[in-house]
Amino acid sequence: MKYAKEVFQSRELLAYLTLKEIKGRYKRTFLGQLWSLLNPLAAMLIYTFVFGFILKLTPKPGDPSGLDIFALWLLCGLIPWVFLATTISQGMQSLVLNANLIQKVYFSRIVLPLSAAGAAGFTWLFEMFVLIIALSIFGAFVLPWIPYLVFVMLLLALFAIGLSLMLAVANVVFRDTEHFVGILLQIWMYLTPIIYPNEVVEAASNGLGGILGTNLTVLGFYQWNPMVHFVNVFRALMYDNRWPDPNELLICAIWALAIFIVGVLVFRRNESKLAEML
Amino acid sequence: MTDTSSTTDAVTINQVSKKFRLYQERNQTLKSTIMRGRYAVHKDFWALRDVSFSIPIGSTFGLIGRNGSGKSTLLRCIAKIYSPNSGTIKSKGRVAALLEVGTGFHQELSGRENIFLNGSILGMSSKEIKRRLDEIIEFSGVENFIDQPVKNYSSGMFVRLGFAIAINVDPDILLVDEVLAVGDAEFQEKCERKFVEFKKSGKTVILVSHAMQTVGAMCDQVALLESGTLKQVGDSKAVIRTYLESRPKDAN
Repeated sequence: MKYAKEVFQSRELLAYLTLKEIKGRYKRTFLGQLWSLLNPLAAMLIYTFVFGFILKLTPKPGDPSGLDIFALWLLCGLIPWVFLATTISQGMQSLVLNANLIQKVYFSRIVLPLSAAGAAGFTWLFEMFVLIIALSIFGAFVLPWIPYLVFVMLLLALFAIGLSLMLAVANVVFRDTEHFVGILLQIWMYLTPIIYPNEVVEAASNGLGGILGTNLTVLGFYQWNPMVHFVNVFRALMYDNRWPDPNELLICAIWALAIFIVGVLVFRRNESKLAEML
Repeated sequence: MTDTSSTTDAVTINQVSKKFRLYQERNQTLKSTIMRGRYAVHKDFWALRDVSFSIPIGSTFGLIGRNGSGKSTLLRCIAKIYSPNSGTIKSKGRVAALLEVGTGFHQELSGRENIFLNGSILGMSSKEIKRRLDEIIEFSGVENFIDQPVKNYSSGMFVRLGFAIAINVDPDILLVDEVLAVGDAEFQEKCERKFVEFKKSGKTVILVSHAMQTVGAMCDQVALLESGTLKQVGDSKAVIRTYLESRPKDAN
């Protein structure tokens, strides 16, 4: 509780650092903040062309929304994923990049990874806003689901922050972490139903049956990935406009809280040693 | 010397020890750790060993000693940047450290934006910063460039702005590490006046310096550290004399 109070007292610092991240990132660029929208748009075009047009992956139409547009379906999973990946990779580097500051001034260190998450979150909100408008134009009725959506976004943010706190400390000890995690994030993305529908994995798993004659299925392992459930919940809310499976939501909440708590504990344990370890 | 903290002490240092690891081999990459089968080989080095003394409120206190005697480490322990391996440090009121000026400036942001950023890193609330903004800008002497990005500043302007922010944090205890030698003569004079003002308002200043003249002129009390242990603490003239006498006379 004392720690929470200390972090709360640093909220202004957190705000300024987040603002610095946001303002500093696109300074001296002609398009400015628009760049943050162009990245997911470019990814959307590439994936839609390769997976929707060439490989002809056809996700089920939104039920009950009736939407049947690959690009929008893709973005409902891709945009939350990009937030997660950005928060992890920026937060992870935040301590090493600010080594000089940590060795010269005392302040609550946790604001550094938190401000990275804040900046990523700002971009995310902007993207979600645009996405919701696009979905609404094409006939989805997202508005009533927004309070629910915000709740799930908070869960994903907790999950992302928890991971970035752990990895930020790990990166101080082993500088390999950031390169290693870069690769892991790519693998993780393809292990999550972002560019292909969940059903493809189900079909493949059913075709294969139990692994080596056991009851374990590929799908069983696949579903250990918490992002599978997060993406499903986001799609249910935004693309289908229906209540997500309560079990999936529960799994998301448990993962988010567990990872967040572990992340904070790991960070706290190492916080006072950071100045020497860097 | 007493260990008990009294109400007139700004900082009470009680049997503080700080150990560092001197790495003979340090494998900060995963590959080398696996190849060598270990993360690091180190020797323990005690930068501070069992140091106790207290610094009275309102005093200007000097920490002196040769290079590597542990004075900067002690200053960082007081600033909470390092945590001691054993012992405790109690300080009353807000502590601000002037270990390096301009840390945390963002090159692309303007001077004004950096005042807010840096001020909040140093522990000021945005209300306080707003209240002191004019004073900070005036003190730094970079009025004409305050809305320019700081990357366009000369190194002198950069340092002056950093210093102006730090000195306006208005802490109860100010820690200063050899940063007095910045800026031109006029700016230095300004700083000295600020320190005097500081002292008059009953604030505590802790100064680490090699310049015995500055220490002698500014400090009431001085602690002399020698290879991590406290050698002498007390009236500045006496301690400075001990220090100067103990210096190896390799010139002879």
